[in-house]
Amino acid sequence: MHLPSLNVLTQVVVIGLLTGGVYALMAAGLTLIFGVMRVINIAHGAFLVLSAYIAYWLFNSFGLDPFLSVIVSVPLLFVIGYVFQSQLLAKLRNEPGLVVLLTFSIALTLEGVMGVIWQSTGRSIRTWYTSQVWPVTLGDITLRLPVVRVVGFFAAIIALVLLYLLISRSDLGRAIRATVQNKDAAQLVGVNVARVQAVTFGIGLATVAGGGAIFSLIWTFNAGSHEEWISKMLAVIVLGGMGSLPGAFVAALLMGMAESTAAVMMSSYISPIVFYLILFLTLIFRPQGLMGTIIRKG
Amino acid sequence: MATLLKTEGLTCRFGGIIAVNNCSISVERGSITGLIGPNGSGKTTLFNLITNVYKADSGHVYMRDKRITGMAPHRLCQQGLSRTFQITRLFWDLTVLENMIVPVRQVGFRSLLALGMHGHEKERALSLLKRVGLDHMKDEPARKLSFGQQKLLEFAAILMAEPELVLLDEPAGGVNPSMIRFLMDLIRSLNREGVTFLVVEHNMGLVMELCNPILVLDQGQKIAEGSPEAVQANPVVLDAYLGD
Amino acid sequence: MKQLRRWWPALALIVLLGYPWLYREPYFHVLGFNTLMFAAMGISWNIMGGYTGYKSLGHSAFFGLGAYLVAIAHNQLGWNPLWSAPLLAIVVTVVAMFLGWVMLRTSGSAFVLATIAMLLIFRLLALNLKEITKGAPGLSQPLPPWSPEFSRMPFYYTMLVVLIAALAVSMFIRHSRFGLGLLAIRDDEGKAEMVGVNTTLYKVVAFGVSAYFVAVAGGIWSYFTTHISPVFAFDIIVGVEMIMVTMLGGLGTLWGPVLGAFIYIPASDLILFRFGSSTLHLVVLGVLMTVILLFLPRGILPTIAGWIEERRAPRAAHEGARSMIEMHEERIA
Repeated sequence: MHLPSLNVLTQVVVIGLLTGGVYALMAAGLTLIFGVMRVINIAHGAFLVLSAYIAYWLFNSFGLDPFLSVIVSVPLLFVIGYVFQSQLLAKLRNEPGLVVLLTFSIALTLEGVMGVIWQSTGRSIRTWYTSQVWPVTLGDITLRLPVVRVVGFFAAIIALVLLYLLISRSDLGRAIRATVQNKDAAQLVGVNVARVQAVTFGIGLATVAGGGAIFSLIWTFNAGSHEEWISKMLAVIVLGGMGSLPGAFVAALLMGMAESTAAVMMSSYISPIVFYLILFLTLIFRPQGLMGTIIRKG
Repeated sequence: MATLLKTEGLTCRFGGIIAVNNCSISVERGSITGLIGPNGSGKTTLFNLITNVYKADSGHVYMRDKRITGMAPHRLCQQGLSRTFQITRLFWDLTVLENMIVPVRQVGFRSLLALGMHGHEKERALSLLKRVGLDHMKDEPARKLSFGQQKLLEFAAILMAEPELVLLDEPAGGVNPSMIRFLMDLIRSLNREGVTFLVVEHNMGLVMELCNPILVLDQGQKIAEGSPEAVQANPVVLDAYLGD
Repeated sequence: MKQLRRWWPALALIVLLGYPWLYREPYFHVLGFNTLMFAAMGISWNIMGGYTGYKSLGHSAFFGLGAYLVAIAHNQLGWNPLWSAPLLAIVVTVVAMFLGWVMLRTSGSAFVLATIAMLLIFRLLALNLKEITKGAPGLSQPLPPWSPEFSRMPFYYTMLVVLIAALAVSMFIRHSRFGLGLLAIRDDEGKAEMVGVNTTLYKVVAFGVSAYFVAVAGGIWSYFTTHISPVFAFDIIVGVEMIMVTMLGGLGTLWGPVLGAFIYIPASDLILFRFGSSTLHLVVLGVLMTVILLFLPRGILPTIAGWIEERRAPRAAHEGARSMIEMHEERIA
């Protein structure tokens, strides 16, 4: 363990912040799904990787820039999510304990399918701007920020703002919030809970499509990567408070910064342990996370 | 020691609402004490506080002068406190007889490893089942019982733990008149054998006939206490039920 | 027919004992070893996941821990795995009880997540504590001393013993007061607490016991496969397959995991053999698990038992209930 210079430290924290923004977009759908359906969608990581593969395929076949590929992947994943919830998960409504296992089995299936199609080669998208770096000077400190990370961060923020507006301003958003608060009461005032759940799952996967497009530009991935990424996303939403979008946002930024700082101070091999430890400890000592609700218990 | 159970200044809030407000009651040993009050007066919440299902914001609970506030539920059971629920809770996938055996007080490590049930425990279970008329169903899963049979089983099962104080939460809810009679006779005969009862009920006929004394709650506080006649004549009580 | 019911375990045992002699190829011994291993691990996992309902997705943490402890003891202390595995598994059980005590403060999905996090932490530690575990490349043990003619056979028989032991323990628990308490916890944990069951103690002990045979299996496996590495020893798929065979055969039943293992392991091996690719294997595993969860959530044995019960007395049950209620009302009138 060694202490880096102020320049390096600032660089690392800023990069961590930028990365955290992308984490927030990836995890937003997961926490939304949990909030509405109390389902931990372990397949979320697999859908993230799937979105990345879709962006990759579109880029290689048509030269379509990943940021533009969302035109295809977002609606596609919305439909997949809608069908998934209404046809598969809804069937296990009477056995809530098994739903987690079902999402797990879907994740495995997806990993297998993606592995068959794209093998285990690590993939990534390299565009004309991938290796460009943006120099920023703040007083004594010079930062070198990769363009993809900056643009990715702002794209993520835009997407999150849109999501927030959808949830807080639209009729659909109101129905969603009502369902989160009290499913039965919402049903009594005329909310079609089953439809809301399916739509929410669709939105959840649609956001991860956006996240996946950005993801494909920054990281290398293959079919097996989903395991590492679902763990990160789970850590984010648990820390933020499961079901809380603002919580996920704050937690994602914190985790991003913690991870990149740890990578610099220890070996980067062990830095993922930051996520797992935070996940583990939060579950044990503060299961409601930073912004979740406390359940009264004796 | 005449007082078996005592609460002192119990308070419990949910968000902005005070469900139980500085509530102090006591239950005499050997009595069948009633607990009544209009809807929302905090009766079930009080039960939940006593049995530590909910955590009290302030105040204490004492059993035989020993502080039991916040005690783990399984230890409360060992202290001699048992309760039934408004909506019957049983082990639905276990048989009737198995439901009777789970509450038996474990003494020592060896009892855990015991295969099947000890002779005298099984006898006690079967005789209790007979008393409530369920012995012929002993090997049926609990979910196959009728509504009334389920209530009887819940009651019989908690007796297996040999409680000193039993909290009954609306034992007559949704039950037909002949069953109510049966329950009242059962409670009385158990009371003669030394079990103390605290009964929450809406069925006034049952409460007035069975319980003495009767405690009245309103808005989370005790507003009256006394014999059935005294409570029925008490204007404060009438006000609570009819007012607002 | 009744004779078959009483004697089939004995018959099955004879078949299993004779199997390696009938099928001499090492391939069959390996298949047998794997089948027996997953049967034993399924039975072990079932003690927690089936009896109490707390389904751990990270149980292969104990498999890996057992594997590494045995391998290291073999290399550093010269301990032969065939007797050190059951011994070191006790260490793993203690660790499991401690971790269980920490994790069982949560329930439901949070518990599942915690077990996953636990597994991932163990794997990362194995990858990074290079002085002890040699890191990613893994470590090897000395080869078994017996002649190559026997090759895998002793491992097969060792695992058969482990399976029988696991079965005996599971059977014992199921019929004991402790087991009844576990089933009560699964049914309604809050109620179990209120009728006097020390649920924390019961769950922690069950978790520890459920780790024991998994750790023994891991220890024997490390010797069997000679070379182990963090990715394979702490593989989440091993944990998933433990759950799979249990759910396939019947969650919470005694023989379910055995049935599930005897169906799933040979079938999965056949698929690997025919299609050769390990990612296709994942597709099969995933699809199979999805199908089971949707259509056969209780597993084969309970579903069959349900059919038999339906067929035997569907109408009689109704009438029986009605007459009992009448009898009852007469009694109390």
